[in-house]
Order: sequence, then C-alpha cells, then structure tokens
Amino acid sequence: MRLTSWFATYGPSYLNGLVGTALTALGASIGAILWGCGLLLVRLAGRRWGSGVVDAYVQVFRNTPVLLPIYLIYFGFPLVGLSWPAVVCGGLALVLQNGAYVSEILRGSFKAIERVQFDAARSLGLSPWNTFRKIVLPQVLVYSLPALGNQVILVLKDTSLLSAIAVTELTMQAKLLTEQTGAAYEAFLVVALLYLALVFGAELAFRTAHRALHWSR
Amino acid sequence: MRWRSVRSAIAAAALVLSGLIATAGAEEKSRLDIVLERGKLIVVTMSTVPPFAFTDDKGQLVGFDIDIVRLLAQALFKDPNRVEFVIVTAEGRWPAIESGRADLGVGGTTVYPDRAIRVAFTRPFIDSGISILVSKKSGIKSLSDLNQEKYTVANLNNPQMAERAKRFFPKAKVLTFDTPSAQFLAVRSGRAHALQIDTPTADYFAAQSKDEFEVLPQMLTASQNNAIYLKPGDFKWWLWLDTAVAEMRTGSWYPQYSDVYRKWFGKNPPPQKFYLQQ
Repeated sequence: MRLTSWFATYGPSYLNGLVGTALTALGASIGAILWGCGLLLVRLAGRRWGSGVVDAYVQVFRNTPVLLPIYLIYFGFPLVGLSWPAVVCGGLALVLQNGAYVSEILRGSFKAIERVQFDAARSLGLSPWNTFRKIVLPQVLVYSLPALGNQVILVLKDTSLLSAIAVTELTMQAKLLTEQTGAAYEAFLVVALLYLALVFGAELAFRTAHRALHWSR
Repeated sequence: MRWRSVRSAIAAAALVLSGLIATAGAEEKSRLDIVLERGKLIVVTMSTVPPFAFTDDKGQLVGFDIDIVRLLAQALFKDPNRVEFVIVTAEGRWPAIESGRADLGVGGTTVYPDRAIRVAFTRPFIDSGISILVSKKSGIKSLSDLNQEKYTVANLNNPQMAERAKRFFPKAKVLTFDTPSAQFLAVRSGRAHALQIDTPTADYFAAQSKDEFEVLPQMLTASQNNAIYLKPGDFKWWLWLDTAVAEMRTGSWYPQYSDVYRKWFGKNPPPQKFYLQQ
C-alpha cells in the first residue's frame, strides 16, 4: 500500500498514540528535571552519607536498562498493594532513571560557577536554600540547557518502551496496526516520521529557550 | 572504421538487453529448492506461547509447534535438528515472512481471513479455541460475571482479541500486551483479573498453579485453526508444506504426529478420518 493512502486510512488511529507519547514524555521530562535538582540539592547539602547515597543511586540507575525498572514497578508494585496505572508506573521508571542522568548534568554545570559567588552570597547573609534558589539554580539551568535538551529527547524515545506494559503510545499503536493489517513497514515508517517530528519540535523549543536566556543574561 | 564500432556497440547493447529480458522472464526459484540446497529450515516463531512455542527451564526452545517443525525437517533432511529459529514478538511475525528472512512461521498462529491477504496459510495443523483464564481470588465464575466495570482483562495486541472483548465483555476494562507471558504476568501480579488466549495455552498457564488460577468452562470461540504461515505466491513451497501437514493429520505421518500431540496435550489427536475407529 502506498504510504499516502495508508496515512489517509489509518492516520487518525495514530492520534491517540501521538497524544499519549507527547504527554508521557512531557510529564516524565519535567519529573526527571525536578528529581535531578533534588538529587543535586542532596549532594550540595554537604553531608558525606548523602552524597554516598546519591552516588550509589546514580550508579544503579545508570547501569541498568530502563526496561527493568519499568517491568519491576508495573508488575512488582501490585504485589505490595500499589496498583498504579501503567502510564504512572512507566513514567516513574523514566523519571527515576533520567533523574540520575539529569543530576550528573547539573553537577557538571554547577562546577562552572566561580567560588567567589558563594563567598559573596555568604557575606550578604543568604541562607543555603536561598543561595541555591537565587544563585545556583538559575545559572546551572542555563548552562545545562543544551544537555537537558538531549536528555528530553532520550526520554521521548524511551517512552516507546512503555508499549510493553500496555500504555497507549505511538509504538503500541504501530504494533496494533501491524497485527490488524500485517503491513509492518507502513505502520512503523509512519511512527518513525511522527517520532522525528516530535523530537524536532522538542529540539526547536530548547534551542529557542537557550537563545532567549543567553540574550537576557 | 567508425561505423563498424557503432555497429558493434549496438550489437553489444542488444546482447545485454536480451540477457536482461531473459533473466526477467526466468521463473523465480521456489523456496523448496532453496531450502533443500541450504540444508536447513529457517523458521520464525514466538517464544512465549506455551505449550506451542516457549523456552523451558534449560533455556531451550520447545513446544508442540516446534516439534511439528522438527517433523518437517525430518521429512526434508532426515534430521529433525536442521532448523534455525528466528524468535520475534507477535507483530514481528509478518515482516519476517514478507522480507523473506524466514521460510515459514509457526507459534500458536491463528488463521484469519484478513491475515490471509498478507500471508499464505497451510491447512491447520491443530484445532484451537479461545478460553478465559481467571485468578481464583477475583471470584469470576462465568463469562457473564466478567462483564462488569470492576474487572480488567489482559488481551494480546491483535484485533480479534479486541473484537471478542467488545462482544463478550464490553463493560470490563482491557489491557493490551504483546506477548502471552506478559498477559499471564498481568494476571499473576493482580494487574488484570483475567486473560483471553488459545485454550491449550490457558490450560498450560492454569496448570502452573491450580490454587491461584482456573480456566472458565465456557469458551469464547470453540474452534479456531492454527497453521503454518509463509510468503504467498510460491505454489511449490506452499504445496509441499500443505501436503506435509495433510499427511501428519490424516495420512502416513499420523503416528509421528500423534506422538507429538500426546507429548504436549496428554491425549490423542482427533481421529485421522471421521469414519475410522481408533
């Protein structure tokens, strides 16, 4: 079947998947960035055991494939009485893994802040929390923006793994259409184009944000 | 001189062209001949549909469908082990056939008219049905019990599953997975209260833990055909496979077929011919 006529016939059934993928990726990205900030805060608090725990956490999540926590949370949590919906379980797994990456990205940018700024903050009498909120965070986020953009793209692509736990998203939609029609190439080619469009949109948003923030500085 | 070289150029072009036409007109080689030359079968299958095709405790791919393929290899090469299996998930079956990567496919695959547009099927090598497996905790005793909003059913991602869900339990919630083992895991972990699957697979899952699961006596479909699928258009290859299946079910290879059937289902297959007493 020609790709255009394929799209005319089955295009609308991709819509659900497109919305599912976009919303899941958005939620998981925001969650991962917040969680990454949290992990950074623990590190900055200066307690040795705190950094130790964060280090261990980052090691564990960076060195395991994300499908593992997806399965563990989705199929494992009901055994202890937590029957959250699939999209929440999958989103949580993505947040947990990508949060680890984000915290490392932020830590790199944190090191770029000159020490004198902290001396200045202390001499002004700013509390540690206010130092973090008013001095560290705004600079770290701007420095990290390109790297965070990359991470968001990874999250977006990783949402395809949630098709394994019955989340309605693009890959799931392609699988359903393949099973319905046997036309695997058409089904997955269209999905590939849709992912490409989503990634391109995310990239554009980050580039615009980066330019705007650099200008304002 | 120049004229002669032009003439020879034309002659050479004509030669190349006629060669091209000759190859285009030549009959495409049958898969049967390719398989015989290669000396082994390449078979696409799923590995998560017990007892048809699954991996056992030792990590070996086993099952009823796998043994049927070994019978085919026995017929072709006098050696049941000359088979290479390509393992895919449900939706990976069709491109593996369409691209010519595998000679044929098995693995609890049901014949449907809309599927037969894209792939060719032999006659069925086993009768199947669709049953419901429930967790005993759920308290579901019949199909009509299941049709309530508080229940969730795990489906496989083919449209026939969705259609049956709409017909038999429209009020229940539905989750869609890409392997039967994920469906079973969903029921096991309490994600779903029930699942629908081929009857032999449901029976196999239920036998894993008789205290936790049971198969409802009422079936969604009493008869379905599971068959070998292949790329359409290769008559010689299809005919050989279809003949092999016919001989297994109703002819000279019925004893071998019966052995395999008893090994996996613990009972005799349907009689060879309806008018023959067994």
